[in-house]
Amino acid sequence: MFLTRSEYDRGVNTFSPEGRLFQVEYAIEAIKMGSTAIGIQTSEGVILAVEKRITSTLLEPSSIEKILEIDSHIGCAMSGLNADARTMIDHARVQAQNHTFVYDEPIKVESITQAVCDLALRFGEGAQGEESIMSRPFGVALLIAGCDENGPQLFHADPSGTFTKYQAKAIGSGSEGAQTELQENYHKSLTLKEAEVLSLKVLKQVMEEKVNSVNVQLCSVTPEKGYRLYTEEEVNEIISAI
Amino acid sequence: MISEPIPTAQPARQMANRFDPYEDNGGTTMALAGEDFCIVAADTRQSDGYHINCRYAPKAHQLSDKTVIGTSGFYADGICLVKRIKQRMEWYYHQHDKVMSTPALAQLLSVMLYQKRFFPYYCFTILGGLDEEGKGCVFDYDSVGNVERVKYQAEGSGKELLQPFLDSQIGLKNRATDDVLDLTEEKAIKIVKDAFSSVTERDIHTGDCVEIYIIRKDGIECEKYPLKRD
Amino acid sequence: MATKTGFNFDNYQRNLFLEHGKENNMKLPKATKTGTTIVGLMFKDGIVLGADTRATEGPIVADKNCEKIHYIAPNMYCCGAGTAADTEMTTALISSNIELHRLNTGREARVVTAMTMLKQLLFKYQGHIGAALILGGVDCTGPHLYTIYPHGSTDKLPYVTMGSGSLAAMAVFESKYKKDLERQEAIDLVAEAIQAGIFNDMGSGSNVDVCVLTKGKVDYLRNYIKPNVRKEKEQVYKFNLGVTPVIKESIRNLVDVVEVNEMEIDQ
Repeated sequence: MFLTRSEYDRGVNTFSPEGRLFQVEYAIEAIKMGSTAIGIQTSEGVILAVEKRITSTLLEPSSIEKILEIDSHIGCAMSGLNADARTMIDHARVQAQNHTFVYDEPIKVESITQAVCDLALRFGEGAQGEESIMSRPFGVALLIAGCDENGPQLFHADPSGTFTKYQAKAIGSGSEGAQTELQENYHKSLTLKEAEVLSLKVLKQVMEEKVNSVNVQLCSVTPEKGYRLYTEEEVNEIISAI
Repeated sequence: MISEPIPTAQPARQMANRFDPYEDNGGTTMALAGEDFCIVAADTRQSDGYHINCRYAPKAHQLSDKTVIGTSGFYADGICLVKRIKQRMEWYYHQHDKVMSTPALAQLLSVMLYQKRFFPYYCFTILGGLDEEGKGCVFDYDSVGNVERVKYQAEGSGKELLQPFLDSQIGLKNRATDDVLDLTEEKAIKIVKDAFSSVTERDIHTGDCVEIYIIRKDGIECEKYPLKRD
Repeated sequence: MATKTGFNFDNYQRNLFLEHGKENNMKLPKATKTGTTIVGLMFKDGIVLGADTRATEGPIVADKNCEKIHYIAPNMYCCGAGTAADTEMTTALISSNIELHRLNTGREARVVTAMTMLKQLLFKYQGHIGAALILGGVDCTGPHLYTIYPHGSTDKLPYVTMGSGSLAAMAVFESKYKKDLERQEAIDLVAEAIQAGIFNDMGSGSNVDVCVLTKGKVDYLRNYIKPNVRKEKEQVYKFNLGVTPVIKESIRNLVDVVEVNEMEIDQ
């Protein structure tokens, strides 16, 4: 039976005649509906900033966590289906701990990104000998920031299992505007302080609500202090500097 | 009459032909760490009981530009362990796009040995090399993965003879005077040669030849020094 | 008090304890064994005996130049392998008895006599005397070469080897031994056999001792070959004066020194 065009998006591992995997593309689409997340790499460290969508006045903002720690030297921001991100980050945390246990050294940022992307491809029927663990691709993109022997780095990982290194990257619903903004304002000699301000400045432009210490989350990863989530006071300070 | 019950003399219950996959092939290894160099040395005799299996069976193996491993005990386990380490290093190289450092290797080795806690590799391992700062480092292991970073160490059949000598000449132990050790590479090599020729005199399992690996930041050199063959 | 019955159980408990020595955490003292190569062969004019000079205690070399060719009588020597003390004492004991035998009979003792005395002694001790011997000598009946095993059995053969290096040495004999060798040929062959043991058996080592016994003459060639002279060390290990720490110091007066004025004595 000949499959009509629309039927190619049923199987997660079925290519369309044009060579597309629709389910993966839809997963990438899902991210575009997610909240905006921004990452900026500087020579002093990396900044991650995300917006929190407070959809109800009854919602407890602190229960939304969009920036998480993977290891003491690696942080991660997400956009898309948050529940999927949990799975990925759990995996990343196990990988990081295992690496430290086996090699007595922190894992490289690129290696942890690769590990996460390996997991992202394990959907569908599962290859020979390898058990499949998911029926569909992840609906989340990650910004992985960390510092290792190669200095501060920022990686973007998407549901297709592709990862790319960025100096500054925006994901989520406001990513298009934010990315243009970053492109205009980013330069190599950016300090960490300037990056903090820039990240919130960009967020402010793409967010519907007014930026405050409750509806954004901010973290830095530096060679000295590693991963550090900013307190509300610290966020307020940066907001006032915008 | 005998009042106390006497344990009946039972023939010692021995399981005939119990599975014993281990063998002791003897051999002595040692390593010492200098400020910016490291030396790993091992004799090349492989024996079984009073019999010499091979006069040149290397026990020291180069793992990278910065690390050398020495094993003694059961030779087959030793080479198997080295083979697996090399494989793990290859995987690591492709996975992380860098050569495994000596301290990382030291930890990996400990994990690998402990993974076989209840069917151990019957070998006594010494790892020597340069750490990330370029300083000499030596790691000493037991057969199930206990690891210790030390300045110098002897292992294998001649360790009881060798270690006190190193304690005296490198550790400068038990001295009333506060001598300072200026361990140059040349002096260290001399000590290693004398150590092995002396052990050969008194340990029957050590002899034939000693391979001395000198690890420097610009590469590794291997010197062969002949020992007595009796 | 003596028991009334014919049996005595005095040592039952002790024997039981010894039998379970391992469980009772008891270790029997270990004897020095000479993992050894000893050989002997018959040549045209007599006997050549050979031995290495290494004595071991387990894997450790206890003596680098010991003597394993023991004197029995002016015309007889005996190589010993096994427990050092046993070979030493048995040969010394038999040597004494052979001398007494000579004094009693007024004749030079025969090799077969010494051999018989040795085997009777060893058999009596049921192998507990760990002596494996090669006995060689020349008497009025000609040259003789015997091997005596720890349990008391003996062989009379033209060429023999014993000890842990016996296989290595025998390999040489089996490939090169000929009847009626010349004296020097015989010595060379013995030396080669011993060296095969020295280099291929780890229980044997160091030097080659040779003993040539001919009618009316014995040549004991101690350290006939020294193939294992140690090279000079790379460094001198001399400790400077005062290196040894003094932990405690105490001086005791063994005599009281009394100062006496000479004048006082005169008085």
